[in-house]
Amino acid sequence: MTTIRLENLVKRFGDFTALKTMDLEIRDGEFMALLGPSGCGKSTTMNMIAGMEDPSGGRILFDGRDMNGVPMGKRGVGFVFQNYAIFTHMTVRQNLAYGPKMRGMSRSEIDRRVKNIADFLQLTPMLDQKSAKLSVNILQRLAIGRSAIVEPAIFLLDEPLSNVDAAFRAVMRTELKHLQKQFKQTMVYVTHDQLEAMTMADRIAVMDHGVLQQVGTPLEVYNNPANIFVARFIGAPGMNLIAGELAETDRGLAVDLGSWGVSPPLPDDLAAAASAAGSRAVQYGFRPEEATLGLEGQGLRSRVTFVERIGARTIVHVESGQTVKIVAENDVGCSIGDDVSIVPAPAAVRLFDAASTAAIRGG
Amino acid sequence: MRRSPAFEIFRYAAIALALALTLLPILWMVSMAFKPIPEWSATGADLTWIPRAPTLDNFRFVFGQSTSDLIVALERTAWRPILASLLSAVFGTVIAMVCGTAAAYGLSRFGSGKNLPLALIQLRLFPPMAVMIPVMIMWAFLGLIDTWWGLALIYGIVTLPFAFWLMKTFFDEMPREIEEAALVEGCSRFRVFMKITLPVMRAPLASSALLVFILNWSDYLIALLLTTKNWVTIPVYMASLSSSMTGQLYGAKAALGLLAAIPPVILGIAIQKHLVRGLTFGALKQ
Repeated sequence: MTTIRLENLVKRFGDFTALKTMDLEIRDGEFMALLGPSGCGKSTTMNMIAGMEDPSGGRILFDGRDMNGVPMGKRGVGFVFQNYAIFTHMTVRQNLAYGPKMRGMSRSEIDRRVKNIADFLQLTPMLDQKSAKLSVNILQRLAIGRSAIVEPAIFLLDEPLSNVDAAFRAVMRTELKHLQKQFKQTMVYVTHDQLEAMTMADRIAVMDHGVLQQVGTPLEVYNNPANIFVARFIGAPGMNLIAGELAETDRGLAVDLGSWGVSPPLPDDLAAAASAAGSRAVQYGFRPEEATLGLEGQGLRSRVTFVERIGARTIVHVESGQTVKIVAENDVGCSIGDDVSIVPAPAAVRLFDAASTAAIRGG
Repeated sequence: MRRSPAFEIFRYAAIALALALTLLPILWMVSMAFKPIPEWSATGADLTWIPRAPTLDNFRFVFGQSTSDLIVALERTAWRPILASLLSAVFGTVIAMVCGTAAAYGLSRFGSGKNLPLALIQLRLFPPMAVMIPVMIMWAFLGLIDTWWGLALIYGIVTLPFAFWLMKTFFDEMPREIEEAALVEGCSRFRVFMKITLPVMRAPLASSALLVFILNWSDYLIALLLTTKNWVTIPVYMASLSSSMTGQLYGAKAALGLLAAIPPVILGIAIQKHLVRGLTFGALKQ
């Protein structure tokens, strides 16, 4: 129930800059995922929002109020740590009751809240157990419950699911989303797992090397990556990128992809944007899911080097100077060494400036 | 991993040898403690492991009950030295643990006083004998000679580096997130330390305190130099157990030694669980 604004936020550790001038607005009640590889500055950003680290520059505003100098206990945030940070000398009940007790809630109110949150997170059977002996999955539920119980206006989660097993992770993704729907907090979720970000977040902020790369809804980020990093990082497998040069053909502007051949003509709006952009060296991108694989005929020429059958789909690796992955039907009939041609769906083609790595956008 | 039988035999033989070397003197002390004077005196008959005529006379003797065989007038009984040892060792441990834990926490969390660890460890770089004469002079000036509190103070100072280094290692290993989780809930720093950090750290605290206590309890040299009459400790008192008639009173020494071994053993057993955990400390799963 709070808007978080980051203005020119910078964090340096000695000579190392962990975060370079970041501007971001996290809206009231929004589920924002900070997504990026390790060391991209996402946890640092989170720690500054929580007040665990002081910014080296810039401001953090909660509903317009500058949080600089406000200690973390006074910010009204809940924080779930990657390694749970459960008070191991206390029982599950004492852990849950800790926050409410610190805030001076009445005995009956604490009991009511503990009961509710324990029901919600299925912790009721182990309420009076010592928390030191619980399983990892239950510890993580408890950690979420301990922060959620005081119904903080802002809920910060730092890779909460990275230590739990895969099956439980899927369950928790759904539960966390439910939790947020129920309490309507502003939620900031740090993760390196794009699946978590895509499935839960209202918007995703993609970060790399201390720089915010793109902010958008999961589909925006997936469909229209702002630059080559985001294109490669989002999606499993990531977007295919082939280096090439803009070339005029008799059917319109296309991209000369060297040994792959010349691409199909670009859609009009993209062609216009590409010629306006000026630079001729580009990266030609398309999603592995948005291309068809043919044995003959028109398309980008290449050869199959590897076939990964993952059940529902088959990932075909093809090569012609560099490797491209195509997601095909599970019964696709091709094998290593076959000559194939690839036709990217025209609407799915994305161009990136080879020098600046930024997307060239049409329309 | 499967080991060859020869290696297994060697392993058990090595363990048996190590145990024999450490346990035999203790067994001998136990045996001596229950022997009557003819069996332990220098002029005594042939030595046996099992006392032929077991007796509690040695214990009665050190607590002031003279027996027919031991017609030695004891200047004082063992009661007072036991009290002196307990008071000085316990309070010395309290001083070392309170100061050491506080210093270790401050350094581990806030990094202030970067040279402190080395400054403290250098207290151990020279033999205690080298500083004991100046300490004696200071203690005499402060009127702390032959007092249990004077002894407790110097014990606290001498064992402080141990307490500090042990606790610093444990604090460094403790995940900070546990404290941060409490801070986020609005808990004050001091309260976090008292209600979260110390309880979570009780295993390391217990094992460090035991180690420090044993160091203090078994000191001889410092007590010898800083006490004279009223507050001599068990080891110093034990050294004085001799007479012109019989020479060293080995039976009485053994009896007192057996009693002196009881507190560390009881403490060790009581915190055994914590000791193991203290050595393999890890408050949360990584």
